[in-house]
Amino acid sequence: MSDQLFRGRMNEDIARRSYYGKFIFNSHFLIFLTITAGFFLYSLLSLLETLEPSAWLDVIAAFLVSTLLIPTYRTLLKEADGIFLLPYEAKFGKYLSAADRYSLTLGIIKPLVGGAIAVFLLTVGHSLAEIVSFIAGAIIFYILNFHIKKAVINSSLSNPVMLASLIGVSFIFLLLILQSPLWLLPASLVYCGGLVYARHRSHPRLDWNAMIDYETSKLNSYYRNVALFTNVSHIDKQFKRRKYLDPFLWQPKGRAFSKEKMYEYLFYRTFARSHDLPMIILRLILLFGIVMVWIGNLYLSIIIVLFGIYIIVLQMSQIYTAQAYLLWPKVWPVDRGFIQRSYVVYSHKLVLAISILFSLIFLGIHYEYFFLIALFPLWGYIINRSLSRTVYKKEKELSD
Amino acid sequence: MVLQINQLTGGYSKTPVIQDISFNIEEGEIVGLIGLNGAGKSTTIKHILGLLRPHSGEIKVGGLTAETDIEAYRRQLAYIPESPVLYEELTLREHIQMTAMAYGIDEGTALERSGRLLEIFRLETKVDMFPTHFSKGMKQKVMLICAFLSHPNLYIIDEPFLGLDPLGIESLINLMVEEKHKGRSILMSTHILATAERYCDRFAIIDEGRLIALGSLESLRLEFNMPGATLDEVYLRITGGGIADV
Repeated sequence: MSDQLFRGRMNEDIARRSYYGKFIFNSHFLIFLTITAGFFLYSLLSLLETLEPSAWLDVIAAFLVSTLLIPTYRTLLKEADGIFLLPYEAKFGKYLSAADRYSLTLGIIKPLVGGAIAVFLLTVGHSLAEIVSFIAGAIIFYILNFHIKKAVINSSLSNPVMLASLIGVSFIFLLLILQSPLWLLPASLVYCGGLVYARHRSHPRLDWNAMIDYETSKLNSYYRNVALFTNVSHIDKQFKRRKYLDPFLWQPKGRAFSKEKMYEYLFYRTFARSHDLPMIILRLILLFGIVMVWIGNLYLSIIIVLFGIYIIVLQMSQIYTAQAYLLWPKVWPVDRGFIQRSYVVYSHKLVLAISILFSLIFLGIHYEYFFLIALFPLWGYIINRSLSRTVYKKEKELSD
Repeated sequence: MVLQINQLTGGYSKTPVIQDISFNIEEGEIVGLIGLNGAGKSTTIKHILGLLRPHSGEIKVGGLTAETDIEAYRRQLAYIPESPVLYEELTLREHIQMTAMAYGIDEGTALERSGRLLEIFRLETKVDMFPTHFSKGMKQKVMLICAFLSHPNLYIIDEPFLGLDPLGIESLINLMVEEKHKGRSILMSTHILATAERYCDRFAIIDEGRLIALGSLESLRLEFNMPGATLDEVYLRITGGGIADV
């Protein structure tokens, strides 16, 4: 019965992923991915032709793979399980075995992609035996990492320490295996020792609270990743205090202390204290900046900036949606039109700032084409206007 | 007349939850809206707030309907919901500022009014914290501060004592009485009948979506021939509860 319970939840999780997958992998994103992946592969292959064997290549390959060798652990437990399934704990083994299988397959894509890139790099200066040993080591570490991680979650050991230790140990041993495949044996022994220790420290019974909290945090982290692309309503911990930003937040004085400006006042605070949004925007700008520097192609840089602005504007509209549906705007003696007008002012200012940041990166790489940066704020303005209209229309339909 | 409800029928969909409800609230009057769970109290409140559209009938606040001028209509109301509804991203001070801006209160006046309210509810040291991290009772106090800041003609309070500590209840009652003496009116929905009996001038008793009794405790005692009965006893009798039938 417990494996049936898991199967039901697994299907629910797959349905959720498939539902959000449709929003993430829309036609625009697929075109962007194809172009970027094509350019990336092309530049990687060109690079390999010119590369000489070097210890740095081994370091990059080992580091890349070791950071991706920590499998995800999804039990799909729910809060109510801590009450209703407690008497059932002794017969819960099948549920957890099914969760193990699901988790191992769920997180396989990242190490596969990272492993493929690493193998490409290792073809420079390494024999087939060394590469095969590296792959074998990676597979063994992946499985043992999973079991150690599982034991640590159900123990009082620290999760961040466990993650750092696993990444560090696998990095060192992958590097050593590249020097001699014989290192595979001591590496496996060290890992088995680690597993025995983690299991020894693990609680003899399930720590339901810890397991449920962990699952909740994983689900929230999934939702936060999805929120990069589309609106997700049920994310926990949506805001952080960030007291250090208080002095920079606009404080209306005199005439500006009015109902006309109150939503603008709110939007700035919502943005500055959003748990993820400012960090996501910074990370996206940084990531797109690195890709632009790596590829160094003018046309691709333009596509990346335009796509970057598009994806960020798409993100921003969640702030408007969240405010428009709350209780207070429906009760306060304030025209609802002020929400929309304030959002226009706030979002255009923010998009302009983001466009300027992208323009600076673009100028740093393609300074001879400085005149092209005029495109970016214009694109930001148009895309923000167009996407906001869709959001307003949807809100109007729902409120009617 | 602060509130006039004439033959109100309404609900969430086409099937009415409340039917043919009529009652008024005068200036400086506290009226208790009493009823069992699901009787239609919250639906009535949502109609008064303009969150639901009546199927038929009319609601006037200060002589205005929500259809004629929604902003002027809402300016006369302050609402305290049963469960606190707060902005997760705003501090207590910012909630006060938002409310002040919404009701057209200047910053200085807001500061002065809120200072006293913060002191009454013992939250003056927590103004720069997120109220969403407060306990339920403290969150309710934030809602009360924001409502009492706006000095409306009519307060609509859904279960005002829920989650409040005894000191909080006492402070709230004192504030309600103070506002009443200033000519402001209060409509409060509550199950705590012993407290309602002491502070409400009249009671509107709703059962299965219909107004089944309206009046002061004395007039209800007379109407149901229960001299000296408490509000609890009268209420149980009216709604078909056990005690009075035994």
